[in-house]
Amino acid sequence: MAFARCIAKFTKNYFLPDSSRSISITATRNIKEIREVKENNTTIIEGIVKPHPKEHLMLKSCDNGACPLCSAGVNVKHTDVLILKQFVRSDGCMLPRRITGLCNIQQKRVGIMVTMAHRAGLMGTLKPKNCRMDPKKRRDWRKYNTYYDETTIKQSYY
Amino acid sequence: MSIVRRSQQWGTFARMWHVFDATWQDPYQSSQIIAKYLLGRHKPISHPMNRCGDHVVVINSSEIALRGDEWQMRVYFHHDTYHGGASWTKAWELHKKDPTMIMKKAVYRALGNNLTRHQAYARLHVFLDDKIPLEIQQNLSSQIKQLRPVPQRLDQISPEELENFPQIVKLPETYVLT
Ligand SMILES: [Zn+2]
Repeated sequence: MAFARCIAKFTKNYFLPDSSRSISITATRNIKEIREVKENNTTIIEGIVKPHPKEHLMLKSCDNGACPLCSAGVNVKHTDVLILKQFVRSDGCMLPRRITGLCNIQQKRVGIMVTMAHRAGLMGTLKPKNCRMDPKKRRDWRKYNTYYDETTIKQSYY
Repeated sequence: MSIVRRSQQWGTFARMWHVFDATWQDPYQSSQIIAKYLLGRHKPISHPMNRCGDHVVVINSSEIALRGDEWQMRVYFHHDTYHGGASWTKAWELHKKDPTMIMKKAVYRALGNNLTRHQAYARLHVFLDDKIPLEIQQNLSSQIKQLRPVPQRLDQISPEELENFPQIVKLPETYVLT
């Protein structure tokens, strides 16, 4: 199977030159979109930084320097998976603070709540490969429903 | 006695049947609420000498949720009166054996230690799933509100809601999520 896939990839890369450039020395990140514009005899090839696809859904940032979660003014629980999902990678790991831009306390809180959500089996799609998505298939006590109390998190403002 | 007053009398002293969905509910917290209904403490005519307790039907008791590591840490004690007859059963082992037991024991404890306990406990009906006998189902007329909202798993949320949820994190332009 892997061999067949390898052959197919090779064929696509070398015998079908029409397809877009698929050989690259470094990892492709697709940060910039390459555009070709032809005007008479000049061809302009330019790399444009695309806006974020969810730019219109972004919350307004505060001027007072508060972190995005503090300025949003929401009481986040470990069951709010749609919010916690934004702070993790595709394998469920927490993003570092220099990327999320949170303050120290919120970064700790969100990290703990992400762990809670994982253990409660609420973020099954954000797991490393070959992981059980359904928490009901876990062993022993792990398959039973568990909830967590956010007041047990020590990091808080008051 | 006029027919209005008579029907008011019936309505006041009739036993009601409440249903409580135990999905993702803490049995020890919800048992306090259930005990209140079983003893009739939620009624204005409630009095220790007045028997006005209601029936409570608890469904989905196999889907209860315990806090933190309580499935391992909470232990049920039993002694069969012989020497060395003490046994300690963890909550998850008891739940594996009988999914209605934790709910029943929690309510039994919440009812308090007096002579009304057994009568009130007899009015509790616990079912491990939502399949209840028809004769009980026909009696139901009220529902007790759940203490905690049932959490939604990420794979159960529709793709439209996932797409259109407001974004809090603004990632740096050069940072690409894998
Ligand atoms: Zn902050």
